[in-house]
Formats: sequence, structure tokens, C-alpha cells
Amino acid sequence: MKIRKSTLYLIGIVLLIVIVGFFFLSGESASANLIKENSGGEVQEVVIGMKNYNYYPNTIRVKAGMPVSIALDETVSGCFRDFTIREFGVHEYLRTPQDSVEFTPTKKGSYTFACSMGMGTGTLIVE
Amino acid sequence: MNFKEFVKSLSKEGVEGELLKTIFISLLTSFMILGIFYFFRLRDIENFIPKYGFFLFFGILSYALILPSIRQVRAYKEFPCMSGMMIGMTIGMIAGFLPGFFVGATNGMFWGSVFGMAIGIFLGVWNGKCCGVMGVMEGMMAGFMGGLMGAMTAIMMFNDNLKAAGIIVFAISAFIMIGLNFMIFKETRRAERKHKDRELFVSVLSFVLTILTILMIVYGPRSILLQ
Repeated sequence: MKIRKSTLYLIGIVLLIVIVGFFFLSGESASANLIKENSGGEVQEVVIGMKNYNYYPNTIRVKAGMPVSIALDETVSGCFRDFTIREFGVHEYLRTPQDSVEFTPTKKGSYTFACSMGMGTGTLIVE
Repeated sequence: MNFKEFVKSLSKEGVEGELLKTIFISLLTSFMILGIFYFFRLRDIENFIPKYGFFLFFGILSYALILPSIRQVRAYKEFPCMSGMMIGMTIGMIAGFLPGFFVGATNGMFWGSVFGMAIGIFLGVWNGKCCGVMGVMEGMMAGFMGGLMGAMTAIMMFNDNLKAAGIIVFAISAFIMIGLNFMIFKETRRAERKHKDRELFVSVLSFVLTILTILMIVYGPRSILLQ
């Protein structure tokens, strides 16, 4: 049986892609969801930074029924400073690290926080 | 002259018969270089494969996609204005977009777009000159736009499905490049072959592009947010 030259090349291409692809695509990326929460007195104070083009930490746990104050540190830049949590009606442009937005989560559950364009996102877990 | 005839021509002698061979040689050269780099240097980098493996792999596949068209264009050398403009635009755009996307995903918007624009404009102009100034201009503009758009898309996808977007972008680019190969095939049925590149040409080009991409993705300067 005579195999066409093009078929041989095609087999070679597929084999190369599969072998190298298996090697290079098998690794899972590491993700870090560290919780950083500073509670002081009656208000739960949370300071969020920025890492890998996203809010960091991007999973925050707070208690229901207690006021939460969120500030963005100096690493957060651009449109990421326009902070929103749609479910709680939070939408505030936090111009400096001293600016913060306060709200009281009343319902338990997971809520998404994001910048106004939705490019940076995270989860607020109300317990 | 339909697509079936084009597929048939891939197994014959001649310009189109060399397309699959070019992909094979390009992949072989690039993966060999990546393998050598990996065993001597890159494997010492912490989390190398999860961090860079995907982007390097698809970067190399992108070059294997672009090089056959370059060889095909160089074989016929001269094209009418409309075809030449399409060649310059397609090669410039894809050669700018894909490297821009993969470098942008690892190094940030600035270096992704600079690298994408450099590769896109260089290859766009080089291939666009098959029809003269119009093709050169088209290649230059497409490379400029593709490089910027590639890096920008990667950055905008960063917190979304970046890797899935990379695969979709690559698949669409592959269809476009196959379309370009078919268009060149259709437009050159009455033309004679004017130039024949040796396999070494493909190897050297793959070697240079792969080395540049590895250096840029792994050791290149980064945006402050990706450090």
C-alpha cells in the first residue's frame, strides 16, 4: 500500500501537536484566593489590592447584618477603582486608598463584586 | 477551481504540495528548540508549564500556520493589486494578532502590542510587497492594528476565559490562513513559479521567531501587574 506524501506530513503534524500539547498543556495553573479581612469594632473593614489583573484577594468573607467598609489600596488602578456590587446597590469610584464604600449585607450568600466594566471580579461571601 | 482541487494539490508536487511539509518542518524546528531550552534552562523556572506552557505552545502553532503562506507568496513573487493587498492584510493582521495575544497574556499590554506590531508589520510588509506599495501599506497597517488588538484582547480576557479565548482566536486564524492559501492557489493557476525556498528557509524563520517568542514570554520585561 502506498501512502501519500501529504498524508505522512499530516500524520507527522498531528503527532507533533498531540505529543507536545500533552506535555505543555497538562499543567494546571495555580490560583490563590487568600482572605484578607481586617475587622475593627462594629464595622468590618476590608482592603482590596490588585494582582494578575484582578482584585486580590478576590474572595472575601463577611458577616451578615454588620456594616462592611471596603477600600482599595494603592495597587488598584484605572477602571478597577470604580467598584460595584450590584446586589447591594454599591457603585462608587474610590479615587484614593483613603476612600471607602460602606454598606450592610443583610442576606447570606455569594455575591459578585467587580469593576464597572466587569474586567476585575471577585466573590463576596456573606455568612 | 474549487476547494477540492486545492486539497488534491496538497499531495502533488509544486508550491501547494509544500504547504503541509512547511508546517511540519516549522513545528519540528520550533518544538526542538523549545525542548532544548526546556531541558537546559526553562524547567528550572518555578511553575513554568502552568504559567507559560499554553502560550508558548500556541505561539509556536501560530508560526507554523503563517510560514506556509509566506513560502507560497514568495514562490509566485508577483500578484495583482487586490490579491497583494489581501495577502499583506491577512498575513500582517494574523502575524500581529496571535503573537500580540500570547505575549500580551504573559507580559502585559505594552510589550504584547510592541512585539505583536513588530512581527505583524515585518511579515505584513515583507509579503505585501508582492504587489507593490499598496500591499506594503496594507501589511504595515494590518500589522500595526493586529499587534495592538491581540495584546488588548488578551488583557481584556485576563479575568475571563483567557485560555479558551486563545484557542478560539487560534482556530479562527487557522481558517483564515487556509482561506488565504486557497485564494493564492486560485489566483495563480495561470502563473508560473518564480522562486523556490529551501527547507532551511522555513527552519531558520521558525528558529528566529521561536527564540524571540521564548525570550519575550519567559524573560521579557513585564507589566507591573504581572510581576
